[in-house]
Amino acid sequence: MAEVEETLKRIQAHRGVVATIVVNAEGIPIRTTLDNSTTVQYAGLLHQLTMKARSTVRDIDPQNDLTFLRIRSKKHEIMVAPDKEYLLIVIQNPCE
Amino acid sequence: LAAMFADGTAPGADVESLWRSARTKSCQTEQISTVETAAQSHTSRDATVQTDQSKDALQDFQQEVQVDYTSLLSFLQRVEDAVIKELNKNWKSRAFDGFEVNWTDQNEAVLCLHTLSYPEAQDQNLQVTSVSWNATGSVVACSYGRLDGGDWSTEKSYVCTWNLDRRGLNPQHPDLVVDVPSSVMCLAFHPSQPALIAGGLFSGELVVWDTSRTEDPVMWRTGMTDDTHTDPVYQVNWLPDAKHRNNSRLLSVSTDGKILVWREERDGRLALAEGFAMVAQQIPRSTWLKKFTGGEAAVGVTSLSFSHFDHRVFIVGVEGGYSLKCSTAAETLALHPTRSSVPLRAPAELAFSPHGGPVYSVSCSPFHRNLFLSCGTDGQVHLHSMLQTQPLISLQLSKKYLFCVRWSPVRPLVFAAASGEGDVYLFDFEKSSQKPAVSIKQAAGECPVYCLEFNIKQTQLLAAGDATGTVKVWQLSSDFTEQGPRELNRLEQLASEITD
Repeated sequence: MAEVEETLKRIQAHRGVVATIVVNAEGIPIRTTLDNSTTVQYAGLLHQLTMKARSTVRDIDPQNDLTFLRIRSKKHEIMVAPDKEYLLIVIQNPCE
Repeated sequence: LAAMFADGTAPGADVESLWRSARTKSCQTEQISTVETAAQSHTSRDATVQTDQSKDALQDFQQEVQVDYTSLLSFLQRVEDAVIKELNKNWKSRAFDGFEVNWTDQNEAVLCLHTLSYPEAQDQNLQVTSVSWNATGSVVACSYGRLDGGDWSTEKSYVCTWNLDRRGLNPQHPDLVVDVPSSVMCLAFHPSQPALIAGGLFSGELVVWDTSRTEDPVMWRTGMTDDTHTDPVYQVNWLPDAKHRNNSRLLSVSTDGKILVWREERDGRLALAEGFAMVAQQIPRSTWLKKFTGGEAAVGVTSLSFSHFDHRVFIVGVEGGYSLKCSTAAETLALHPTRSSVPLRAPAELAFSPHGGPVYSVSCSPFHRNLFLSCGTDGQVHLHSMLQTQPLISLQLSKKYLFCVRWSPVRPLVFAAASGEGDVYLFDFEKSSQKPAVSIKQAAGECPVYCLEFNIKQTQLLAAGDATGTVKVWQLSSDFTEQGPRELNRLEQLASEITD
C-alpha cells in the first residue's frame, strides 16, 4: 500500500503535473489528488472516451490495441494510461 | 241361478325389494374449498425517487470501493515508466508552439446588434439607469429613471424587457413594460429563475417583479417601513440563501450607508434578515487616510461586488471615493443612529486608496480571488489587489465620469467601462496596459453611458444603456470571447506585482 502511494507521489511530483487520478474498471475513481466532484467528472468522462478510443483502434485493426491516450487542450494536456483493470489519468500543464 | 258379480277395486299390492335399500342423503353441494390469495401487494420496491440537487459533498469514495492493492501496484509499476516518459516529452516539446484551433466563426469587429428603446419613456426624457440579463441570457431588461434627478423626484418610471431570441423582435416595442411609481435606479434578474427581477427605487424601496405574470407582476416589496432605506437604492443583488437552497435573498445598497439583506415573506413582503451599516468612525484607518482631508467623509455606499471565491467577502465603493473590503462574518455592531428591527453590523475590514471623487462602480474578478476594479467620477479605473491599499494599476480612461466597470465573464484580462463621454471602453491587459483595446461610441455627442452588463450565457453580447434612453446590444469580436492559453498566468503575474 505504501508503494502505491509512493509511485503516485512520484508521478504527481513531476514537472507541470496538476492532478493524478486512478480509476478502476467500472469507472469509479480510487485515488485522486483533486476534489470529489471534479474527480468524478474526469473519471466518468475519460473512462467513456478511453473505451471509445480503444474500440476505434480495434475496429480499424483487430490485431491492434490502445496503449496510451493524450488529449491536448488550450489549457493543459490529459494523459490516460489504460489497462484491463485500471486507468491512470494524469493532467499536466505544459511549459511555455 | 246367476252369481252376484259386482264391480270393485282392489288396492295394488306392494312388493318390497329384497336387494335394494334406500337411504336419505343430503343433496346440497359440499363446501367449495377456497384459498386466500392476496390481491393487494404487500411488498414494494422503489421504481423512481425524486431528489433535490444536493450540494453536500459526495461521500468519500475511497472508503466504499474495495481496492486490491497488489493488482493496483503491479498496474502502476507497469505504466509508471511510460507515463513519466510522456510527461518528460511533453514538458520539453515545442510541437504545439503557436498552434491554435478555431472552433467558432471568427467575428472581426464589434457590431451593434440591437438598438432598443421605449419611445414613451424617451418622450419623458428618461434615461436608462440600469440593464440586466436574465438567467437564460435571452432577455434583457432595462430600467428608466433619472440619474441627475436632483433631491427629490416623483417621476414615474418604467422597467422594460425584450426577448432577443424571439422572432419578430421589435426594438421600439418592449415585450413587457412595468409602470413603477418611483424612479428605478437599479435592476437585477434572479440568477436561476428567468422570470424574477428585482429593482431598487429612488424612494429606498425594493420591489421584485415576476415577468411571467401578466396581471400584476409585483411579487414582493419592502414597502416604506422603519427598515427601508432612507436614500435611493443604487444597487441590488441576489444572494444564494445558505439555509433554504431554493430561495435567494436580496441585498440592497444605498447612500444612507446601509447594506441590507432581505428575505421573502409569505404575504408578499420583504422582511429584513440582516444588515450592515457603514459609519465613518468605524472605517479602519490607515496612515494615508489620516492625511486625506476628507477625514469624516460621507459613507454613502454606491456600489458593491461579492468575491467569486469567498462568499463572505465583498467590496463596496463609497461616495467618499474609496473602496472597502468587507466581510459578512463581521460581528461588531454598527454605531448607526437610526434604529432597525435587526441589529446592523459594521463590516469594513480594510480601506483602499481613494479615487479623486465618489466611486460609482466596483467589480470583483471572476478569475482571481484578490483582484477587483473600481471606477469613479475622476475618470479613472483602479485595479486593486485585496492584499494592499495602493492600486496595482491606475488608468485614466476618460476626462469625464466613469459610471460602470465590469470584468468580462470569459476573458480574465478584459474589462469594460462606461464613460460620461458616451463611450464604452473595452480594455485588454494582454494587448496594452495603458489604453483601451476598443472604444465603442454608443451615443453621439457627450451623452453618458450609465450602465453595462456582459451576457454570461451568450458571451459575445454586451448590453449598455445611456442617457438618451436607448439600450444597445453589442456583439463583441472573437478575441473578446475566447480565453487565451496563457491568460490566467498573466493575470496571476499582474496580481503579484505588489509593491511594499
